[in-house]
Amino acid sequence: MKHFEKHTRSLHTRRQFLRTSMLGAAAAWTLPLFLEKTFLAMDAEAADSATQTSDGKDGPILVVLQMAGGNDGLNTLVPHGDDAYYRARQRIAIAAADTLKIDDYVGLHPALGGLKGLYDDGHLAIVQGVGYPNPNRSHFRSTEIWQTGADAENLKLTDGWLGRYFDSCCQGADPTVGVSIGGARPQAFNSPRPTGVSLARPEQYRWVTGEDADEAFRSLNRPGEDGLGVGAEAGTSIGAITGESQNEMGALDFLERTALDAQLSSDEILRISRKFKSQVSYPKTRLAESLSLVGRMIAGGLATRVYYVNQGGYDTHSGQAPAHQRLMEELGDAVTAFCRDLKAQGNFDRVTLLTFSEFGRRVAENASGGTDHGAAAPLFVAGGSVKPGLHGKYPSLTDLNRGDLIHNVDFRSVYYSILRNWLKAPADQVLGRRFPTLPIV
Amino acid sequence: MTGVSTGMIPRLPDSAWSRGAAAHLLSRAGFSGPPEEIDALHRLGPEKAVKSLLDGAAASLATTRPEGVDPVDMIAFRQAIKALDEEAARLKRREWQRQERQSQLALTQWWLERLRGKNADPVAEKLALFWHGHFATSVEKVKRSHLMWQQNDTLRREGLGDFGTLTKAIARDPAMLVWLDTDRSFRREPNENFARELLELFTLGEGHYSEGDIHEAARTFTPYKIDPRTQKFTYRKRQEISEPKTIFGQTGDFSGDDVVDLILKKPECAPFIARKLWEFYAFEKPDEKLVSHLADDFRAGGYEIRPLLETIFTSAAFYSSDAVRKQIKSPVQWVMALSRTLEIDLPPARMLLGALNGLGQVPFRPPSVKGWDGGKAWITTATLLLRYNLAAFSVGNQSVGLPLGNSGKVKDPRRFRALLAGRLPLKKIAPPETRQDPRKLVEALTDRLFQQTLPDRETAAFVSFAEARAPLDDSAVRDLLQLMMSTPQYQLT
Repeated sequence: MKHFEKHTRSLHTRRQFLRTSMLGAAAAWTLPLFLEKTFLAMDAEAADSATQTSDGKDGPILVVLQMAGGNDGLNTLVPHGDDAYYRARQRIAIAAADTLKIDDYVGLHPALGGLKGLYDDGHLAIVQGVGYPNPNRSHFRSTEIWQTGADAENLKLTDGWLGRYFDSCCQGADPTVGVSIGGARPQAFNSPRPTGVSLARPEQYRWVTGEDADEAFRSLNRPGEDGLGVGAEAGTSIGAITGESQNEMGALDFLERTALDAQLSSDEILRISRKFKSQVSYPKTRLAESLSLVGRMIAGGLATRVYYVNQGGYDTHSGQAPAHQRLMEELGDAVTAFCRDLKAQGNFDRVTLLTFSEFGRRVAENASGGTDHGAAAPLFVAGGSVKPGLHGKYPSLTDLNRGDLIHNVDFRSVYYSILRNWLKAPADQVLGRRFPTLPIV
Repeated sequence: MTGVSTGMIPRLPDSAWSRGAAAHLLSRAGFSGPPEEIDALHRLGPEKAVKSLLDGAAASLATTRPEGVDPVDMIAFRQAIKALDEEAARLKRREWQRQERQSQLALTQWWLERLRGKNADPVAEKLALFWHGHFATSVEKVKRSHLMWQQNDTLRREGLGDFGTLTKAIARDPAMLVWLDTDRSFRREPNENFARELLELFTLGEGHYSEGDIHEAARTFTPYKIDPRTQKFTYRKRQEISEPKTIFGQTGDFSGDDVVDLILKKPECAPFIARKLWEFYAFEKPDEKLVSHLADDFRAGGYEIRPLLETIFTSAAFYSSDAVRKQIKSPVQWVMALSRTLEIDLPPARMLLGALNGLGQVPFRPPSVKGWDGGKAWITTATLLLRYNLAAFSVGNQSVGLPLGNSGKVKDPRRFRALLAGRLPLKKIAPPETRQDPRKLVEALTDRLFQQTLPDRETAAFVSFAEARAPLDDSAVRDLLQLMMSTPQYQLT
């Protein structure tokens, strides 16, 4: 029950804090003060916990980039040295001469020039053959597996791996500890006590109130006196890795918490977005816009540990070649601009970007010039502190499982390594067990 | 009532029927309404109230093609392109894309107005919205608004009938054929996309079929194609695979319709659909006993949807504390209920689309074939703040830089403000006599906006705000309305 005690205490701290500094002095309430107090509270807690805290100015940052739809790993990191690749893909294979060669066996998609540059500069790690046992070919289930870190057979785990990280490390922290770009909230952020904010356009991330309504507004948009902490407190255990979050928060509790988080984060986000503009130019794509916004938030020193951005469109069942070309270009160019931005800011060393997609695609192309849902695929880890190079082994193109590549790196090994070696978090606790560490960060 | 009911689901006793129950029914079966509409429904009593709503829906299932949403003869179009030189062909294609965008806007506007009740029945429209989320198809890939309209019409026409017929119609639906690649699935290499989602998302749920079932089912749909001239379904005999297929352990030369019939025989289908309807209309995570009773009735009644809805809307559980004011309004529900209860028109179409986009639900553009997740997924810090700002905007208070898709901010905020401010019927919503007493005014507005009693905290905050602003002129009433809608409570129904 040790976790539970710690958890209760931190909630208590947060509650105390909210009462005294926010409700007591609503009129004089300012955000910088709030942040300062939060960090003090976190520091006090950190004294008896193994977890690290930071003031948002120098802690490590993780950026998760979801490539939604199932990226074709074989045409991303092309095994140009393998005849089996060209036999399986007569129409959509990428010619060896066109790939950006990493070595005699693999090369990057020709549109990934930016990433090749990062690779050559020693800022890109490529993990090959990432997947999980008993792969599921449903987008939704497989995405859920990646977002929760669950075993494929475990349907009960619905909390996200980042949500559990926030729970274990960032209790009582500013809600902006996790920031998802776009209106939606990724399942990876889920926990019985949701943490993190979603942000589409910073200039609209605020509310307006009628004359003299500000105080009433603030008081209505937080958990009620008796509601403060209930729901999350009862029956929640941080170690609930087995899956059941017994007392799920009710709709009203959830709304009240979200409203409070919105209040607490909006002034700061507005301030940063007004003050900081990107110093480098980004391409005009949605992904680049998202990463540019992340860059501004990092430059502004938002207390965020994890940013989450999304790129969709990878479900290339038909006419894959031109579509995938565009996606690779958007990905490569956006990530490259982002890295340039971070370098210019002097923040490159404290940011690691991780890509993932719910699955790769089948080795053989289909009759529609596309590829169907598959299994293992490579992923990218970029940043000033990554251990560059190729990691893992490229899966065999002939020893297949029902037409699919067989993984040799469990995706949770990647999570485990990043949690432990980058975020300095209790990875065993967050993922429920130990996974082999990879030398990627 | 025509359904076969086992009588295992306790009904709401007449004695428990109240104005609050009527308000709950009106909100969940449709999109809520002004106080008089609730009174009228209340007077009918529970059984007649439910019957009148479903009769209303049943009478409004057919639609006619919206203006500006025309079928495109693809063969004629391709021939026309062929006859042109490269530059002219490019211009022609661009012109076609421009027309298609116009047409998509016309289509979406048409449905939004129907959802609001223009020449349409809200109960029928809400059910169509349910099926749209279930057989989720997006114009983003389909790219032909005429096909999207056809599908929308099918969902409404068949949506109150039997689920088997509906599913067979959807398997033939041209927009679905494009969306899940059946139009590119050929006998020499069937595409499995539709077969997979048919089993996983449309009928049985994950885990109740094998990869082999998907593979075999895909072989039955290869002849399903679109006639490029008429844009209607056509059966291409030469793409037929007339060979034995083994599905769910049974072997035969099955057709696509046979696959649907085999699915309906599986025990998992009825609970899957009954649960989904219950969760949409009543509350999430119903207990398993309730689901299995609903499923038994549903199966025994030949998968007829209307009796299932009757059972749901007349059950005691539907009016229980698990249900009432426990559902987070979807963006469409939020917009329509706001517009209906305050008796104001919808905002201009482009603006409304921008708003719905920001809130996370644009009709004809579900995020994926899984539809919208709904529930708590509607609410993030970003969407909640946007709801508050839209509420301010709707009562004519502020222009808050509504997102308008790619076009950026509202071009002329003052014009829109005037447009909206003039619309709110303040004399009716807050008549002079209620303004004398802040408590009375809050009570009247609570009845209109929330339709149930609120906790003391909310009521006290509203009253003290109103007292501070007395005497209550129009601008104070607008501020009060805005405050009442800028609350967690207002997001619930």
